[in-house]
Amino acid sequence: MMMNPHDDMLDDLFAMARGEKPVPGDDLVARVLADADAIQPGVVTAATTSQKGLWPRLLEAVGGWPAISGLAAATVAGIWVGIAPPSSVEDMTASWIGDEVHVSLFSADLMLDEGALPDG
Amino acid sequence: MNASLDPFAGAPDEALLVAYANGDGHAARLLTARLLPRILAQATRMLGTRTEAEDVAQDAMMRLWKIAPDWRSGEAQVTTWLYRVVSNLCTDRLRKRRGGVSLDQVAEPLDTTPSVAAQMQTKARMTALSDALAELPERQAQAVSLRHLEGLSNPEIAQIMDISVRSVESLTARGKRALADIMAGRKAELGYDDEPA
Repeated sequence: MMMNPHDDMLDDLFAMARGEKPVPGDDLVARVLADADAIQPGVVTAATTSQKGLWPRLLEAVGGWPAISGLAAATVAGIWVGIAPPSSVEDMTASWIGDEVHVSLFSADLMLDEGALPDG
Repeated sequence: MNASLDPFAGAPDEALLVAYANGDGHAARLLTARLLPRILAQATRMLGTRTEAEDVAQDAMMRLWKIAPDWRSGEAQVTTWLYRVVSNLCTDRLRKRRGGVSLDQVAEPLDTTPSVAAQMQTKARMTALSDALAELPERQAQAVSLRHLEGLSNPEIAQIMDISVRSVESLTARGKRALADIMAGRKAELGYDDEPA
């Protein structure tokens, strides 16, 4: 590469610039650390979690009262389906385990017509 | 700060950044002690003025604090990232300076004793170099400053600027040539004789 006649000057200027090693003043350091403190993300400490009792923490863990009401509704619906399954569910179970098996918790025949039972 | 008593002594910058993001205030102080001098030096060399360089250094550190929670481990070194940030912040300032004068040129000291005169000449040369960098296309200014003011290797610059080594070579060569042309007119003014090299 052809040398530029002004390269000596440039090289001197570059060397001079590289020699610049400014020491950060106390004021600048203080400003930078103040920024760091202001921006630093918060930390979850053991103290903040232990201030609440077991039930509030459990409640928090599952998502609060709205989640509890949802859980309650789902539980009631599950029990209801267990006791009185809709016909579509009955059809489905029949197709899986056969029509011969019939389980009824509240059999009218059993409760109202004892004569229908075989003797002995 | 006594490094020998420091529990973080020897920990990589990245680990300190994670510690800072997790709420460790001591990590911030150590990172500042490690990184701020380098950042301030880079900004001072590019901008030629202490006041502007301090603003850039503070801004760069602010960006570091902000990115700490999202820092992606292993993707880049903290120093590489900072070189890039400071470089970009400085070229932003140089762009605004075009056509005007840098802050330190405004005041004209009256003291002409030899040592003060020498300091003034050094200051004038640094300011002139910075003003000449401002005249270059930004990528050339960044490549030239990282190569010749920071003394980094071409592969390091390629990583910082996210370009190929060949592109770095091209940018630094063209940038240095352009810089020499710009500075040629100020040779006598800056105390360099006119004899060819």
